[in-house]
Amino acid sequence: MKLKVLLGALVWTLLVSLAHLQLNIGWGELADSVREWFGRKRAVLEIGYLPVT
Amino acid sequence: MTTHSETGSVFQSRKFGDFAPIKESLISRRLNASFILAPLAMKLVEDGVPIRIVYLGHRDGTTLMVGKDSPIREFTDLRGKTVAIPNRFSNQSLLMHRMMKRWGMGPDSIKLIEVPPPEHPTALSAGSVDGYIVGEPFAALSEIKGFGRPLYYTKDMWPNFISCVLVVRKEMIDEERALVQELVDGIAKSGKWLDQGLEHRMDAAQIVGKHVNFQDPKLLEFVLSKPPDRVKYSNLAPLQADFEEIMDLAIEVGILKRRLAFEEYVDTSFVAPVERLDWGFDQLPRPTAAEVGK
Repeated sequence: MKLKVLLGALVWTLLVSLAHLQLNIGWGELADSVREWFGRKRAVLEIGYLPVT
Repeated sequence: MTTHSETGSVFQSRKFGDFAPIKESLISRRLNASFILAPLAMKLVEDGVPIRIVYLGHRDGTTLMVGKDSPIREFTDLRGKTVAIPNRFSNQSLLMHRMMKRWGMGPDSIKLIEVPPPEHPTALSAGSVDGYIVGEPFAALSEIKGFGRPLYYTKDMWPNFISCVLVVRKEMIDEERALVQELVDGIAKSGKWLDQGLEHRMDAAQIVGKHVNFQDPKLLEFVLSKPPDRVKYSNLAPLQADFEEIMDLAIEVGILKRRLAFEEYVDTSFVAPVERLDWGFDQLPRPTAAEVGK
């Protein structure tokens, strides 16, 4: 019984944590942070344009 | 829209309303890459700004417009009239000079005034100008609204006309070669996809109109289909012969002081055979609800 409660609490905590990460940070942002942590920052290039052909 | 490419690079577009602030941003390095007018790119290189033309944005796609009920029926009817051009350093300006020469008219026989492209249709409807020459969709806008009439398409005046080119600062070329290559390949693939059929063009009109340029998709559908060769997205490699002709005209008109060597202002090393490039999809990816809400 104790084991079941412990496992249930762990699964619940994990699910709530994942939901928090997705809703408040987002997987893309998180992946960028992890990438940056390992020194592999995304290359960014800004391109100017006029909405004309 | 997706915020990064398949390889993880982030390409962010930054919209401007005129070419002057783009020029300033390139000079001050607030921008490392941009689509700008071909003669303006040459002028910046002449002035010592370290940029290179690496690819074209499109071919043709410019129209000389006059009022719908105007008595102007051919080019010589523009003698003594006022015509708006996007910029002194534009190929549209050089085209007007080329046409004046071809029709035996003096260089001052048409008054050319600089007007930012988005304001061209308003200038015509207000009667400030008798005509205007500009890249689409601002030419088609007056046609759709019922007060403008195309006098000539560039495909009829100067086939394979070059208007905007992709320029990249030299530091980016030297330090971020792979990133620039990815951008050029992306433009080549997009051009190939657009010219594969009318249904692709209609799809692009919807996505670009609603989520990128914030223009009426119907206007873009019109531009991309009536006629379909009004603007072309193939053959976008910068060719020396095309630029030599622009250079000749720019020197003749006096916007460039000296002849630049092709290698001084163009870097062709990013041009890859377009046969090897393909997006591999039929319809453009749709933005998710969350991305639309951003």
